[in-house]
Amino acid sequence: MSVTTEGARRRGAGRGRPLLYTSYAADQAIWNTPAKRVWTLALLVAVLALPFYLDRDLTSLLTTVFVYAIGGIGLNLVTGYAGQVSLGHAFFLGLGAYTAAVFGGEATDDVVGLGLDMAIWLPLAGLVPALVGFAVAPLAARVRGLYLAILTLGLVFIGLHIFNEADSITGGAGVGRAPAEPVLFGVDLTTRFELFGTRVNRDMVYYILCLVVLVVLAVAARNLTRSKWGRAFAAVRDRDVAAEVMGVSLLRTKTLAFTISSFYAGIAGALLSVVVGRISPNTWDLFLSIDFLAVVLIGGVATITGSIMGAAFVVLLPRLVDELSAYLPFISGHTGEGFLSVFQLQTMIFGALIVLFLVLEPRGLYGLWVRVRNYWKAWPFSY
Amino acid sequence: MTTTEPATRRDWATIPARIAERAALHPGRVCLREKRFGIWQDVTWQQYWANCRLAGYALAALGIGPGDRVAIHSENRPEWLYTDVGAVAIRAITVGLYSTNPAPEIAYLLRDSGAAVLVAEDQEQVDKALEVEAQCPDLRWIVYLEPRGVRAYDHPKLLSWTEFLERGRDHAAAHPELLDRAAAAATPDDVVTLMYTSGTTGPPKGAMLTVRNVDFATRTLIVDGGLYDPPPTDSDVVLSYLPLCHVVERAATEWCNAATGSTVHFAESIDTVQANLREVQPTLFFAVPRIWEKIYAGVEVKMNAASPLKRAVYGFGMRLAARIGDELVRAEGSHTARTRLLYALGYPLLFRSLRDRIGLRKVRVASSGAAPISPDVLRFFFGIGVVISEAYGMTENAAVATANRRGRVKLGTVGQPHSGTELRLDQRTNEILTRHPGNFAGYWRNPGKTAEVLDEDGWLHTGDVGAWVDGSHLKIVDRIKDVIITSGGKNVAPSELENSLKTSPYIKEAVVVGDRRAYLTVLIGIEPDTVGDWAQRARIPYTTYRDLTEKEQVLELVQAVIKQANAKVARVEQIRKFRVIPKELDHDDGELTATQKVKRATLHERFADLVEDMYANRKDRPGGDLVEVHTWTS
Repeated sequence: MSVTTEGARRRGAGRGRPLLYTSYAADQAIWNTPAKRVWTLALLVAVLALPFYLDRDLTSLLTTVFVYAIGGIGLNLVTGYAGQVSLGHAFFLGLGAYTAAVFGGEATDDVVGLGLDMAIWLPLAGLVPALVGFAVAPLAARVRGLYLAILTLGLVFIGLHIFNEADSITGGAGVGRAPAEPVLFGVDLTTRFELFGTRVNRDMVYYILCLVVLVVLAVAARNLTRSKWGRAFAAVRDRDVAAEVMGVSLLRTKTLAFTISSFYAGIAGALLSVVVGRISPNTWDLFLSIDFLAVVLIGGVATITGSIMGAAFVVLLPRLVDELSAYLPFISGHTGEGFLSVFQLQTMIFGALIVLFLVLEPRGLYGLWVRVRNYWKAWPFSY
Repeated sequence: MTTTEPATRRDWATIPARIAERAALHPGRVCLREKRFGIWQDVTWQQYWANCRLAGYALAALGIGPGDRVAIHSENRPEWLYTDVGAVAIRAITVGLYSTNPAPEIAYLLRDSGAAVLVAEDQEQVDKALEVEAQCPDLRWIVYLEPRGVRAYDHPKLLSWTEFLERGRDHAAAHPELLDRAAAAATPDDVVTLMYTSGTTGPPKGAMLTVRNVDFATRTLIVDGGLYDPPPTDSDVVLSYLPLCHVVERAATEWCNAATGSTVHFAESIDTVQANLREVQPTLFFAVPRIWEKIYAGVEVKMNAASPLKRAVYGFGMRLAARIGDELVRAEGSHTARTRLLYALGYPLLFRSLRDRIGLRKVRVASSGAAPISPDVLRFFFGIGVVISEAYGMTENAAVATANRRGRVKLGTVGQPHSGTELRLDQRTNEILTRHPGNFAGYWRNPGKTAEVLDEDGWLHTGDVGAWVDGSHLKIVDRIKDVIITSGGKNVAPSELENSLKTSPYIKEAVVVGDRRAYLTVLIGIEPDTVGDWAQRARIPYTTYRDLTEKEQVLELVQAVIKQANAKVARVEQIRKFRVIPKELDHDDGELTATQKVKRATLHERFADLVEDMYANRKDRPGGDLVEVHTWTS
């Protein structure tokens, strides 16, 4: 069909009729209605403008949210979409962080470092874990459920041991090393500079950088899940035997899920190390894996948007509890004394929330959002 | 063949000529859309005209010439229009058959029209045609559109649409000048279509509409804004869902599209109209009362199942709507400052979303016709901002008679006569008479019946009793044949009572009985969807439709509706008793016409036991009177 037809359609009888699909592409588009397009754009603009109005520590906290979201999306691909419970996510994050540190960090007497540009070390930080994931996947693909959880758990401990022992790469236990240098295309992102009369500091640059990476990776993940491969993931998750009967290769699908998930984890690990500053091998332990599981479970299993919501929740909740503790008498915060410390309270709230979400809203925050949306979408009817 | 006047001096245009003109002006614009495989597929003006031409050549290849009949037996779809326009382009005559027509009726219609080619949609319609093929000596070809199931058939008369077009292509190569010659030879007196009237009494009769009739109707109703005011443009959107063999849908789909360039969307089927409405959001919407009632009932049912907050908002919105509706009725359909204010208040709260859900958010002209509609239903739609104007017309006058104009809408009337239309009431019987260039050329091969409705002076006798309201607006009292004269000598128009009953979402059909009887009674057909839904929520278990009609609570529900309707009329016009029809009425069983109108005579005959039960003061059948109800007496 010619271009003129398309123009005529828009002018004639296409506008203001979001349900009138004249092509499959429009029907399947991620932003298939004008309302979705407008709101997504508005949200993006708001998020972009945010660091100019926030304190540095909050900006940095939100940057952590983006990084967690990237890792969360990675875990959601393998656990939420493909249904392969993985406790080994922390290992891949660590792998990504150290790959970045080796290629992008400065060499010192104790640790190796090549000091390459970010344009090189960031992709490598994804690719190296992806390769390791690819190598481990055939093992993982043979087992499922609890056995897979145990297998990936093993990965974390092996990883911890290696990180602790490989002094020249990680700096060794209790010492750690500096992360990769954020030098992008020769521009050092740590220096301050002026933009439109506003001083832009390091945190803001990191913020924008991580946001861009998140948006790119999130859209890529969303597209992956809508593709043939994404549907294969879901088929394997829902019934692996049935999927195999239908011609979906289990080994290939699970391997792909692991590989891509590890890629996302690697990128997240590398960015996290840059945001945090100094990294010690003990960072990449089981608790970090559980943090990401919480991102997936609270955000919503098998949704990309949910992973971002979950990341925001998991990262911001401790800060929120911290702020609130000043008003709660039974909490021993920085000043007073009570029978609970802030950290204990955080842990308890976390545990309670995971239980509540599993029982009440298995689709997580995203499920809540969908409920709210559908309530208004059907207005004034209920269905 | 002789040309009556030179082509340059024509003050009329055939539909193919109008389409050709549009195709030349805007070849790439979208003209039709049809939903196939989940997507609305575009047909541009260029493609439309090319297909119509091809169909014309193909019909010629099958031996169709000027004056020959081509029957189309299909739901609304582009091929319907291709065949119709193609046939007219070679000066042949189109005969539309309702897809619900059963085989015996097909046999009658094919025989009566003498159609040589039948275009049948799918296996179902092909089967009907093959069943009666032996009775139709004139039928030479059956062209089928959907090959599924028919492919394996081995019959010398069968031809697939693709082969059909292939022959057209060959024919076009051999006789390229055929269409131009036919276009030049066309006269305003060429018959373009036979529209078989639904025939609530007697067998259907084929009304002949000519080029002049269609041209007049197109100008009056569409180009001059008789029905659509302001007149449609090429940014208007139409949903085509009523049968194309009916004059109204043909005007709204084909004539309007050709004359103004509006974009036509074909609904997937009559059952998906509500879903398709939501997608298409037409700007011009014509519906028969049955559809309006169904939309209204659908809103009620869905609101009953909504959450308390939504119900509260709906209740508030409906109170606003009632005020707006009343005021609009008083102001004859034009907004006043008060209605605008109330509407602005209710718009973000309810009206916008409600209109969006029912697919009427973008409607700028809504009209109703073909049967009387209840004022309460109109009031509801007025209230939510959809001002429906009732129009009146019939096949025999190419649907041109009266309509309510913008800002001059009188509830309960069918409006004022169109420009160029002479309309008067017969002095003796008050029968409505119309005269204009749209009056049909007569019934096909039936001069006797033609003479009954078309007198020497050119007046068409419509068979409807009318009355003037305020000297300007016409009100339809009833069909002459349907008026009930009770044994007390009182004249009662049953349709008024029936419509007030049908306002209730629970009543689908109501047939008032009482001719030469002491008092009025009614046969009720319940609406299974809404009553079923109601029964479920009232925790009344039921199995079948029949079982539902025999529940005491359902009978009480019906009784309450009747009491409500009775309150509005004088005592002699009140209904005393009712019985519920134990089955759903159906076209296949001969109880409804193809346009879903009740055939009274058949109904009286078929359910004589129910009628007798009432007048013989027995209680053998489920029903009741105004005091009590009874189910089966054991």
